[in-house]
Amino acid sequence: MRFSHILLENWRNFGHVDVPLQNRAFLVGPNASGKSNFLDAFRFLRDVVTSGGGFQKSVMDRGGVSIVRNLAARRYPDVVLQAALEEGGEVVWRYRIAFAQDNQRQPILREEKVWHGDELLLDRPNDDDRADEARLRQTYLEQTFANREFRDIAISFASVHYYHLVPQLVRDPERSIGRQVDPYGGDFLEQIARTDQRTRDSRLHRILAALKVAVPQLSDLKLEKDERGAPHLYSNYEHWRPKGAWQTEADFSDGTLRLMGLLWSLLDGSGPLLLEEPELSLHPGIVCYIPQMMLRVQRGRKCAPRQVLLSTHSSDLLRDEGIAADEVLLFIPSQEGSVVQVGADIAEVRQLLEAGLTAAEVVIPRTQPINVVQLSLF
Amino acid sequence: MESVTSPVNVLVEGVTDEAVVRRLLEYAGLTCGTVYGKTGKGALLERLPSYNQAARFAPWLVVVDLDQDAECALPFVRSVLSEPTACLHFRVAVRAVESWLLADAERLAAFLGVPVARIPSRCGTRPQAHLRQPGPTKSKRSNPRGRRAPRGKRRPGGSRLHWPVDRVRDDCGTSMATRRRRPAFR
Repeated sequence: MRFSHILLENWRNFGHVDVPLQNRAFLVGPNASGKSNFLDAFRFLRDVVTSGGGFQKSVMDRGGVSIVRNLAARRYPDVVLQAALEEGGEVVWRYRIAFAQDNQRQPILREEKVWHGDELLLDRPNDDDRADEARLRQTYLEQTFANREFRDIAISFASVHYYHLVPQLVRDPERSIGRQVDPYGGDFLEQIARTDQRTRDSRLHRILAALKVAVPQLSDLKLEKDERGAPHLYSNYEHWRPKGAWQTEADFSDGTLRLMGLLWSLLDGSGPLLLEEPELSLHPGIVCYIPQMMLRVQRGRKCAPRQVLLSTHSSDLLRDEGIAADEVLLFIPSQEGSVVQVGADIAEVRQLLEAGLTAAEVVIPRTQPINVVQLSLF
Repeated sequence: MESVTSPVNVLVEGVTDEAVVRRLLEYAGLTCGTVYGKTGKGALLERLPSYNQAARFAPWLVVVDLDQDAECALPFVRSVLSEPTACLHFRVAVRAVESWLLADAERLAAFLGVPVARIPSRCGTRPQAHLRQPGPTKSKRSNPRGRRAPRGKRRPGGSRLHWPVDRVRDDCGTSMATRRRRPAFR
């Protein structure tokens, strides 16, 4: 299942967002326009349903309702998230949650609704909630005994994976102690080590083939544990010596590590993947092939292609001619919070893309600050 | 065709051209839409047919330098865009948009700190005029400080181009689409 629609109200720097989502979505906008906050909405839904998470923790981890709520929210101050999940081209589930805070500044549910197709399965607050308002501190979705009829939603939300690998965290084993499923790569090597060996070897083989394009000196890639049991990535670099030299992740460049992490994350899991600026540390010549790599890496999968939501500032990445107008989400800051528009809904963007221009040529000029040239006078 | 109140999308070679076109549109009482291009003349001309195709529904202004590509603007226009769509207004700066800026001799002299006389005049009509552009170092040797424009007026600054369109229109020696409320956009 994948997200086919997202509606946000008063979420972070968005007053109102209501956009359809394709299998790939390229989030483009100026700095501080809300691209990360948009991705955070999906992470929030995941956090609500994951073990050790829940509604209360997810809100409080983000600083509470007053931080999560849009500063421009006035008359209708509730924070609303509504997501539609699609399978086989049809919307199967819709989930809506609205919340505010009580007098003790604790998050409290205003609404929780679930639709299966057009049938409304859950509509809270119900009579039980009204009799005992403490029940509104938890969603039904996070409770196993209460979500039996719509557990597929919880499973789908839990499969969301956010990725923003920081090479320094991968290299420094001390920093990764105690981290579990760290989106910043703190336990990246442990994640690889935990994977079944056959699957791991197959993935590393595919990753090596892709990496060799970017780093032609690479000739081998494997994962081994040291005497303390800590996993390490080993790679053979060819040079003038007949057998080359083995290097560990501590010697890999930032770009090599980020590319490895990107490829691994594309292969690992089947739920929606949230990528934040995957172009970082990579050569422009490689960046422009990321959209194609995303397609190619997934082509061999037995399951359905993975949904990828990707934020970027890179002209090189958006230069890919296969990017369609409905795959581009434009983030435009305004007085009442940022506005998100689908490229296909903007006549000019649609016409320019149809005329043969690339998303980079059409979208980047629309998101560039007018007086950007003044930065040279800093 | 779109009404005159529609923002005019712009396609230019670089940031200098963008500043000039923004000022021209402001002078003509038009709103500047999105500024596209800014990746050089070669890329602009290569993509021009695509922009031309998209310009069927909204007003567009394209400004390109003639440089040394042709003797005059007309054969150049014919060679790069034989059939412009109704909403696309293709304008050629002879020989370069910088000559329009040089026409504001007073302000440029103040900016550079050189006498006004050292700014070439009507350089749009004179090939290789840029070879005579003044260099502040050279002028420092040959001109006493008192004869130069006051230094306090240098670097007008700000995000907006302070460029007197009315004054320079007749001095730049080239055709400029600067009449208020251009009928073409109506």
